[in-house]
Amino acid sequence: MGIGRVAIKRGINAIVLIGMVTVINFFLFRIMPGDPTTMMISPRMTHETRRIILHKFGLDQPLYVQFVRYIQQLLSGNLGISFIYQRPVLDLIVERIPNTVLLLLSSFIITVILSIITGLVAAWKRGSKLDISLIVFGLTMHALPIFWLGGLLLLYFSVQLDLFPVIGVSTPWLKHESVFSYVADVLHHLFLPMMTLGIGNIGGLFLITRNSLLDVFAEDYVTTARAVGVPSRTILFRNVLRNAMLPLVTIIMLRLGFIIGGAVTTETVFTWPGVGLLIYRSVMQEDYPVLQGAFLIITISAVLANFMAEIIYGYLDPRVRYE
Amino acid sequence: MSFLDIRNLKTYFTTKGGTVKAVDDISLQIEKGDALGLAGESGCGKTTTALTIMHLLPSNAIVLSGKIRFGDVDLLTIGEEKLRKDFRWKRMSMVFQGAMNALNPVFKVGEQITQAILTHEEITKESAWERVEELFSLVGINPARAKEYPHEFSGGMKQRAIIAMSLACDPELVIADEPVTALDVIVQAQILELMRSLRDKLGLSMIMITHDLSVIADTCNKAAIMYAGKIVERADSVTIFKQPEHPYTQGLIANFPSISGEMKPFEPISGSPPNLISPPSGCRFHPRCPYAMGICENKEPEIIELKRGHFVSCHLKRH
Amino acid sequence: MQKVKLRGYEKSIIKFWSQYMESKIGLFGLALLIFFVFVSAFANILAPYPVGPKDGDSKAILKPPTSKYVLGTDELGRDMLSLILYGGRVSLMIGMLSTLMTALIGTIVGVSAGYFGGNTEELLMRFTDIFLVIPGLPLMIVLASILGATFWNMIFVIGVLGWTGTARVLRAQVLSLKEKPFIESARAIGASDARIIGRHILPNVLPLIVAQMVLNIGSSILSASSLSFLGLGDPTHLSWGMTLHYAFGVGALFSNFYWYLIPPGFCITLVVLAFTFIGYSLDQIVNPRIRRR
Repeated sequence: MGIGRVAIKRGINAIVLIGMVTVINFFLFRIMPGDPTTMMISPRMTHETRRIILHKFGLDQPLYVQFVRYIQQLLSGNLGISFIYQRPVLDLIVERIPNTVLLLLSSFIITVILSIITGLVAAWKRGSKLDISLIVFGLTMHALPIFWLGGLLLLYFSVQLDLFPVIGVSTPWLKHESVFSYVADVLHHLFLPMMTLGIGNIGGLFLITRNSLLDVFAEDYVTTARAVGVPSRTILFRNVLRNAMLPLVTIIMLRLGFIIGGAVTTETVFTWPGVGLLIYRSVMQEDYPVLQGAFLIITISAVLANFMAEIIYGYLDPRVRYE
Repeated sequence: MSFLDIRNLKTYFTTKGGTVKAVDDISLQIEKGDALGLAGESGCGKTTTALTIMHLLPSNAIVLSGKIRFGDVDLLTIGEEKLRKDFRWKRMSMVFQGAMNALNPVFKVGEQITQAILTHEEITKESAWERVEELFSLVGINPARAKEYPHEFSGGMKQRAIIAMSLACDPELVIADEPVTALDVIVQAQILELMRSLRDKLGLSMIMITHDLSVIADTCNKAAIMYAGKIVERADSVTIFKQPEHPYTQGLIANFPSISGEMKPFEPISGSPPNLISPPSGCRFHPRCPYAMGICENKEPEIIELKRGHFVSCHLKRH
Repeated sequence: MQKVKLRGYEKSIIKFWSQYMESKIGLFGLALLIFFVFVSAFANILAPYPVGPKDGDSKAILKPPTSKYVLGTDELGRDMLSLILYGGRVSLMIGMLSTLMTALIGTIVGVSAGYFGGNTEELLMRFTDIFLVIPGLPLMIVLASILGATFWNMIFVIGVLGWTGTARVLRAQVLSLKEKPFIESARAIGASDARIIGRHILPNVLPLIVAQMVLNIGSSILSASSLSFLGLGDPTHLSWGMTLHYAFGVGALFSNFYWYLIPPGFCITLVVLAFTFIGYSLDQIVNPRIRRR
């Protein structure tokens, strides 16, 4: 069965990628010009502390020994200690993952739904005024810096109109009577960042959806369906959509990294306590263990997400499924 | 009354470069049970004619004038919705050029045929699948393969599947556009044999569009030769082959190699295909015609019935 | 009057240009781009005030737009309009220079993979895959913070990560070119690989490279502005993104300093839009897939 083979092949690929990413991650942080140990040592430490830490972390050992230690630590879930927070990096990240996942998933759903709808409308009414305005809209969204869009939305809806809270994922001092009021509070905070990412990411996907649909419209099997007498609506939703979705999955795969990147800047603008904000803070404060750990986690997540998308594609395309 | 009667049909296309006069005033009649071969070079208007009958023209096409009488209705005036429900596929169907791509790769082959059936008939899914299996047997595919996907079928099988699909709703008229061009010779012969036997078995009427005269010789009892959007000669196939009257037809037949006949040198028809946006004046063929006279450049020849059922459009044949 | 005989490629340039002229989107983008290039190039003449770190008017800190300072001032008392005018230079330079790098790497990888095939292709495509999967911005962030936030580092960081799209597109194009008879005949004559690539392949993929570059400049500028916004830009070269960084830093969002927030982002959007429009029109003309439709 084709899909099993796809899963194994792409699974091995994913594992290899994760391996390479880990190696890259290790070496990246050691290539800093100048003193290679500065990455692991906070500039705030005294000379004595520095020597102790260097020895403790084995940073005075040859590179390959350090690498082995690094792998060992990784496998035991040790991503180092944050300079600033003085806590294990892994804990810091794990605390924030749910927030980022919430933001990414909700905005992703919005992006996909909106892209498909607008792509459909534009392709169906190709050449019309609506189509052209949608294209211009899509291209503009593509050109807009997402964090700036977030900033504008925040400025207008939160600061000027006071409709939404300005920072965070929930109101800290509010005592919640029930789960519902907590969820409502979170959703209230979630709305703006979610819309920012949701709409901001449409640009590329909308254009691809439209192009992919136009490609399919031109295919012979669509003309055949028309010849058979299948009503237009049915053709659109049954025959065309399945085919057009395939390139869409591929494009989503390619843009996953971009979407994740957008989350970093958006979380910063909205002070949304996710992994993105953590990265921003670690950059500002030169908290390298956190930066290294967060980068690793993000990259591994991207590889895994990519792997899942490949499986989904394999499932959707019978040419792959029934090899 | 003829089974299908086309009169003075004109279909033009508006393009950036100008108006393409793809079909410029043609007339044809088909009786029930006929197989008419519509022949001519690429771009002479054969496919456009078929698409006009089926009402499947692209958005930049206009049917300027004409009548297509099928049964007791004029197909050009009955409206899209009625056409879709009552005529398309139920009474007339089409086998497209390049059938390889006519099957949607993400659906099972049988499913696409059941879709065709269920669009027009209120029967259960099981009955529809049963019909699919019958159709498969009819066209020579193992019925068990109905649940496979198109990429699992060979080229010849796909063609048979497309033929099966065209027969799904028991049509009276089947239009086949270059049904065997993309296949190798042996498979070609098999498919043509299949089409012949289906025609006999089911009492179908057919229009066979092709640029390959041997296909017409094989399967059609009538033939119409098109050039530059016009029908230049029309008769039963034996006459066309044995006594072609129009210089273009003669040119085509002359180059038709014969296994048993004598060895002849190839005499290609000189010149190149005409520009359909600004076609040659008078008789469209005159720039390439070895017998062209002065009048051919100035006046379009009328259609004359030379003998019963044999129509030619040429100034040379004025009696 | 002498009759000028047009050579082959001159004819195709004219044909190309007349096709381009038909696209309203493309023309608008081009006009927009010319406007920005002009304004940036002559910033030193057009800007009403200087924007060095010591040039601020300490009496006009964070002021909203007035007749004296048309777009308001920043936290150092510098004129917003001037900041924007000078910022354009930095943003455009970063975009263009990093794109040169991207084009170079992308062409080498794409053409080699497509032309040589086999193990080379496999290796290069795996290499490309790594860069595709790793999220772009986080990697840029890591690189930029390790290497330090300077103008040239940013160009390097963006350039060294943005070539994957170009490589893929070029590889596909070279693969289809390889099948064409004129390549086979060149080989049969005994032309070396270098000659075939140089004389036959490169000229044919050049339009595609140019179209890719145009689109790339847009995304480079966006990446640069994201990086700058996060604080990884060069403080001595104030790009639009850096301006937004400082805006955020002084709480422009919460204190409603709209004049500090809106202009830089607006300019970024317009410039990227210009490149996107141009790239879109170019793509319509140059991309064989779309032309068929």
